[in-house]
Amino acid sequence: MSSESAEPSQDGMATAPDAPVSTPGPARRSFLRGMVGGAAGGVVAGGIAGAASGYAYGGSRTGTDPAGASNLAELQGRLPAVPFHGQHQAGILPEPKAATAVISFNATAQSRAELTELFQTVTDRARFLTAGGTPPPVGIGGPSSDSGTLGPAVVPDGLTVTFGVGSTLFDDRYGLASRLPPHLTPMKSFPNDNLDPAQCDGDLVLQLTAGHEDVVLHALRDIAKNTRGGMQANWRIDGFSSPARPAGTVPRNQLGFMDGISNPSVKSPPELNKLVWVQPGAAGAPSWTAGGSYLVVRLIRMFVEFWDRVDVYEQQLMFGRYRDSGYPLDAKGIYATPDYAADPTGDVIPLSAHMRLANPRTPQTADSRILRRAWNYDRGLDPVGDLDVGLVFTCFQQDIKRQFETVQTRLIDEPLVDYISPFGGGYFLALPGVADSRDYFGRALLA
Amino acid sequence: MRSRRLLAVAASAAAAAAMAACGSSPAPASSSSTAISFNDGSCGAAWHLASPGWHTFEITNGADYGAEIDLTDPANGAVYDELENIGPGTTAPMSLNVGSGKYAFLCMVEDFDPIAGPTVTVGGHAAGTRAILPVTYNDLYPPAKQYAKYTEAGLQVLAGQTAKLAADVRAGKIAAAKRDWLSAHLQYETLGAAYDAFGNYDDEIDGRADAVGVNSPKWTGFYRLEYGLWHGQPGHELTAVAVTLNTNVHKLLAWWPTQQIPLIDIGLRTHEILENALEFQLTGHDDYGSGTTLATTLANIQGTRYLLSLLHPLLAPRYPQLPEVYSGLNLLQSLLEKEHLRNGWWVPVSALPASAREDIDAACGQVLQELAPIASIAEPRHTLHEF
Repeated sequence: MSSESAEPSQDGMATAPDAPVSTPGPARRSFLRGMVGGAAGGVVAGGIAGAASGYAYGGSRTGTDPAGASNLAELQGRLPAVPFHGQHQAGILPEPKAATAVISFNATAQSRAELTELFQTVTDRARFLTAGGTPPPVGIGGPSSDSGTLGPAVVPDGLTVTFGVGSTLFDDRYGLASRLPPHLTPMKSFPNDNLDPAQCDGDLVLQLTAGHEDVVLHALRDIAKNTRGGMQANWRIDGFSSPARPAGTVPRNQLGFMDGISNPSVKSPPELNKLVWVQPGAAGAPSWTAGGSYLVVRLIRMFVEFWDRVDVYEQQLMFGRYRDSGYPLDAKGIYATPDYAADPTGDVIPLSAHMRLANPRTPQTADSRILRRAWNYDRGLDPVGDLDVGLVFTCFQQDIKRQFETVQTRLIDEPLVDYISPFGGGYFLALPGVADSRDYFGRALLA
Repeated sequence: MRSRRLLAVAASAAAAAAMAACGSSPAPASSSSTAISFNDGSCGAAWHLASPGWHTFEITNGADYGAEIDLTDPANGAVYDELENIGPGTTAPMSLNVGSGKYAFLCMVEDFDPIAGPTVTVGGHAAGTRAILPVTYNDLYPPAKQYAKYTEAGLQVLAGQTAKLAADVRAGKIAAAKRDWLSAHLQYETLGAAYDAFGNYDDEIDGRADAVGVNSPKWTGFYRLEYGLWHGQPGHELTAVAVTLNTNVHKLLAWWPTQQIPLIDIGLRTHEILENALEFQLTGHDDYGSGTTLATTLANIQGTRYLLSLLHPLLAPRYPQLPEVYSGLNLLQSLLEKEHLRNGWWVPVSALPASAREDIDAACGQVLQELAPIASIAEPRHTLHEF
C-alpha cells in the first residue's frame, strides 16, 4: 500500500478529440457491428456540451491542492471528454477518477483476422464512448444501438478506456508466439499471496475509468455487446476512488491511509520515458510495443476488521506516515521527502515501514519506481460476515521485473502482510496509443 | 388493425417520453427538427429539408385515439422508421438519418383507414437510415401455419417417445429409461416451447424446480423425472412421474390444434429460444443430473433453424447480416457437438474446460446479437395497400 508519492499534477491535454467519423464499411463478421443491428457501421458524432472542448485534467491546480481540482469536478458533475487519440493511451497518466472497472477477457476470436477485427471494434467503441455523442437510431432494423443507461446521449464524463494484452494471447492460436515481448509473463506469485487462478491473468484486459459508476458500466455493456464473439470476460472487479478528505489532500484507501502520495512526475517526459513508457529500440522491447506501458493489476483484500483492532500508532509505523495528515513520520507536509539518511536505524520511520521499503529514495532504487494508481473495491461480505473490501492496485511501468517485482520483493514479509491478502490480478502490456481516426489498437502487433 | 401490444401502457409511456423530450434534446445537436401533426383525417403537412442528414420529427397525434405513424418510401412502402402507440394528444420524437430520396408518412389511427401524407423529396446524394420493406400479416400466415404443423408433427413423435419412456420406467429398466428420457426431452426442446408457446403445459411438461423445490409433489415433467432417474429414486415414485408426463404430452397434443400462433411470435422466437438456452442450459441451471444441457442447446438450435427456414424468404431481402446468423449457428453447433461423448451422453457444462466453455458462451452471445434484429424486421406491419 505504498502511500508513495507524488507529483500529482498532470500534463494538460487541451487538444480537441478527433470527431468519431462514421465509416460504415462492408459488412464484417458480426462483432464489428452488432451495435446497430447491422444497419450501419458508424456512430453519430459529438453534440455533447464539453465533448469538443478538450479536457485538461487537473490542469489548473494550485501547488498545495493537487487533487482538489479533480475532486471538485467529480463532486460537481460530469467531467469533460479525455482525448482518445495519442502516442500513449489516455487512461494511464491521469489520477484515479471516482469509478473504475478492470475486466480480464480471454480471446475467443476464431482466427487472426477475427482477432484484428476485435481490436478494431474495441478501438471504434472506445473512440465513440470517450468522445460521447448520440447513438444512431436504427429505424425498424433492430433493437436500439445503445442501452440508454446514460439517457439519449452518451456523456463522456472523463471516460478512459485502457486496453492491454496478456502473455497468453501469444500462444499458438493467432500466430503471435514470435511476437511475445520477453518482458510479458504470467503474474508471479509472491510469498504472501493467495492467488485464485480464476481471478488471475487473461488474454486481454480493459480498464474503464470515469467520473461516475454508471458511465463505466455503460461503457462495459457497450463494448461487451459489440465484441461478444471475439472475447469472453474472465474476471472483473469494480473500484472507486474517494474524494480527498480533507479537501486538498490525497484520497484514502480502506485502511484509512492516503494512497499514492509519492509517484513519478507525470509532467516530466524524461521521467516518464525512464519509468513508464516502453522505449523504441530498448532491449527486450519489440518495436510494436513502443509507446506502451506494462500494467500490473493486483487485487488485494484488506482485513479491515482486524486492522480496526490495531492501534493507530502501530498502523502508522507499518506505513511510515501519519494516518490523519498523510505526513511522513519525520516530516511536515504530505509531499515532504522523508530523510532516511538521517534515520539510518529506523528510529522514526522503521526500516520495515511500507513507504520506506517500497521507495527507499536512493539513486540505486530510483529506476524501480512505478506509476501507482489504486482504487478501493467493495464486494459485499466474506463467509464469516466480514466486509470483503480492499484495493484494486494498478501500476504502470516500463519493465515489470525491474520495477513492480523489485518493489514487491522488497516488501516481502513487511508487517502489513498480516492485514492484506493479494488474491488476483495479472500482468499486461497496455498497448501503444491509437494515433488517429484511421489507427486501431495493436495495429503494429497484428500487421 | 395490427395487434397493438400494451397500447394503454405504452400510450402513457409515449406521453411521458414526449414530455421528457421537451426538457432535453435527444437528437444530435447538429440535427434539425420539424413538427408533424396528424389526425384521423390527415397525415401531416408537407415538410422540407434543406439537405440530408440527422433529423428529428416531433410528431403530434391530434386524433382522439391511439395511433402509429411510419415514415415510408412511397415507391415501395419500405419503412425508414416508425412510432408505435402514440397516445392521443401527445407528441413523440422520431430521429433518423434522412438520406436523399422520397419520403411519405403513413398515419394509422386506431379504427380508421391508414392515410398517406404528402410525398417529400430530399435532394442530394447522401445515404441515410435504410428503409426496410415491411413484413405484412399476409406474409406471415403461411410460415405460421407451417410452424403449427411442424409442431404438431413434433408432438406426435414426442407422444410416442413419452409412452415408451413411461413403459420402461414402469418396467424398472432404468438404463433404457434414461436413454428414452434424453431422446424425448431433446425432441420436446426442438419445438421451441420457450416463452409460453404451450401455455401451462410447458410448466407441467418442462418446469423447473425453482419455484417449489425438488421435493415438492407439485413439480412434474422432464426435469422432475431427470432428477429422480439420476438420483436413484424408487421405481414407484418414478413411475407416477413418468405416467403424468406422458399424460400431459398427450393432452398438449390434443390441445395444440385449437391454438393460433400470434404472428408476432414467429420473429420473436428466433432469438428467444436461444436466450433461454443461454440462461438455463449453458449456465447448467437446468442440469438436474443427466449433464445434457449442451444437447438441449443443440435441440434449441434445431428449433431456431426451423423457424429461420420458414422466415428465410422474408429475411433474405431485408436483413443483410442473415448469412452471419447461419455461420454463427454453425459455429455454436460445431462447438457443442465436440462435447458429445462416444457413449451417447454429453460433457456436463460443469465439467467443460474453461476455454471450451468460453468459446461456447461467446459463440452463443454472438449469434444472439445477430438474431436479435429479426424480431424487429419480421414484426407484422400494415401497409397502405394491405390493411
